[in-house]
Amino acid sequence: MRKGDRVTGFIALGFSLWLLIESSRFDYLTTYTPGPGFLPFWLGICLGLLSLYLIFDTFKRKADKEENETRLPGKKALFRVGLILLFIAGFAFSLKTFGLPLTTFIFVTLVLFLLEKFGILKSLFYGVVFSASLFLVFRYWLEVDLPKGLLGL
Amino acid sequence: MDIFQHLMQGFSAIFTPYNLWMAVVGCFFGTIVGILPGLGPSATIAMLLPFTFGMNATPAMIMLCALYYGAKFGGSTTSILINVPGENASVVTTFDGYQMALQGRAGSALGISAIGSFVGGILGTFGLIFVAVPLAEFSLKFGPAEYFSLIVMGLLTIVFVGGKSIPKSLISGVFGLALGTIGSDVVQGAPRFVYGVAELMDGISFVVVVMGVFGIGEVLVSAEEHMKMDSIKVPFSKLWPSLSDLFQSRWAMLRGTIIGFIIGVLPGAGSTIASFISYGVEKSTSKHPERFGKGAIEGVAGPETANNASCSGEMVPLLGLGIPGSGSTAVMLGALMIYGLRPGPMLFKTNPDFVWTLIASLFVGNVILLIMNLPLVPLFAYTLRLSYSFLYPAIILVCMTGVYSVNSNVFDVWAMLIFGILGYFMKKYDIPGAPMIIGLVLGPLLEHSLYKALALAHGDVTVFIIRPISAILLGIAAAMTIVVLFKTARAMRKQVSDDQN
Repeated sequence: MRKGDRVTGFIALGFSLWLLIESSRFDYLTTYTPGPGFLPFWLGICLGLLSLYLIFDTFKRKADKEENETRLPGKKALFRVGLILLFIAGFAFSLKTFGLPLTTFIFVTLVLFLLEKFGILKSLFYGVVFSASLFLVFRYWLEVDLPKGLLGL
Repeated sequence: MDIFQHLMQGFSAIFTPYNLWMAVVGCFFGTIVGILPGLGPSATIAMLLPFTFGMNATPAMIMLCALYYGAKFGGSTTSILINVPGENASVVTTFDGYQMALQGRAGSALGISAIGSFVGGILGTFGLIFVAVPLAEFSLKFGPAEYFSLIVMGLLTIVFVGGKSIPKSLISGVFGLALGTIGSDVVQGAPRFVYGVAELMDGISFVVVVMGVFGIGEVLVSAEEHMKMDSIKVPFSKLWPSLSDLFQSRWAMLRGTIIGFIIGVLPGAGSTIASFISYGVEKSTSKHPERFGKGAIEGVAGPETANNASCSGEMVPLLGLGIPGSGSTAVMLGALMIYGLRPGPMLFKTNPDFVWTLIASLFVGNVILLIMNLPLVPLFAYTLRLSYSFLYPAIILVCMTGVYSVNSNVFDVWAMLIFGILGYFMKKYDIPGAPMIIGLVLGPLLEHSLYKALALAHGDVTVFIIRPISAILLGIAAAMTIVVLFKTARAMRKQVSDDQN
């Protein structure tokens, strides 16, 4: 956890510096009240102090027993997570163009076929089932205004 | 009108077909999602939140509360049947619940867990009424200065008590507060951290953050590996605990209720601590402590009762003060704001019908859950046999479509994806997500109270100290900070000296 904490500390430190720099673009105080820059400035200070403490702590203590256990997943798991993220990004990217039913169908089919190693027919079948269910629930039960896309649904 | 009359009005409002249906739907889905390991109550509420957007505030909150209780009920099922807790507070249930299941007493364990949860939920709701109402009346005296101090105290308590690592909890909380500053500021209406992105003008929606961190983040962690769950099968006929089981558990349930409720009221302590304390108390008060860990029924009854009683306790600061005491109640606070309600003492004055219907729904929800859980546990347990291959795409799709439906905006889907990645790494590196959500929800309220208090006092910062209630609240916050700093420094010194030795 020591390395992880150190990385977390440095990221938080970077974020605190960004907060401090950005807060300087706003008024710190108005006549009687704090200005728009007041809270971000103090949040930047707090975050900076906390991150410095976290970093300092990782240099002071020795690696604990679980240090050797990597927190990041192995290659195979990382590949799965990466692919899922890619599919989610693809969903967001094509939602407006293809519409919800078609995007859902493609998403589910790809996840089941490529990640879960289902047969193509089974993947296509569940793609249709998921797509129809989601569409019916959101369009007709919840009456959400969904993007129509290619199918015009 | 007295409490009893208000409550009766609440009952008459809950017993409409639509409100009852929402309670049933909430209980059902809450139990199912609660059963699934990895998805806790916060994630359950966050994931199903979009389903309430088309509703009025009352049925929507009835459904969310039912989801909350349902997820708590469901969390114990996996602890007992597969030795995997459905949520943190059910970890303790694995100690004796799974042992009971191995001995062929899974039905008794599930039954006593459901009955204990029911007892804790019902008695806890009585506690909620008798504590939240006077608290709300007292806090009507609060002005902006008191609110500011209260939020500061609430935030500190939550981060101090909440996570394993105080600095990481604080970082998470401060990050949430910083996220809350995005958008138009309360003072000048100036756009902050918007960078020309029109979608950020109203700030980052808490729904986006909650669904990203709790929904997508949790799914990514679970989806790393193919999850396989082999459940112990429970026949319908063996679901009722025997009379001797009930007799043996009666004091454990009563003690669990008291412990759970008190711990639940304290911000940040939450149901996990309540269930552990209850287990410890049961073990230490038992004449045969050696039975614990080997299938003692009190080891299931006490913690499960405490777990549900703490839910009612957590509703006290939410309804009485407008301060969430946990991640789940923070999500509910955000939901209330979406429905245009301002939680806190004024809610009892301005929307008594809503508050009392909600409280009545807690009683009804617990009855529904008991009726649903005793005979239907085998059916719920069957969901464990559903392949995770189907579940995680479904969860992702519900999150994505749900978050899109908030503003009909693809930007929110992208933002949720980013928060999902953030949530994944936070989970990997033991950074709690709840303080971030609480910071995000309370941040704008904190800034608004600060601005209002100083504007009314013409910029005099002593307003926070000269007003007695505010001074007491800040004093408590300062005392807590000193104690925690002292403890942290001592722990650090000990660790360094251990390392040197």
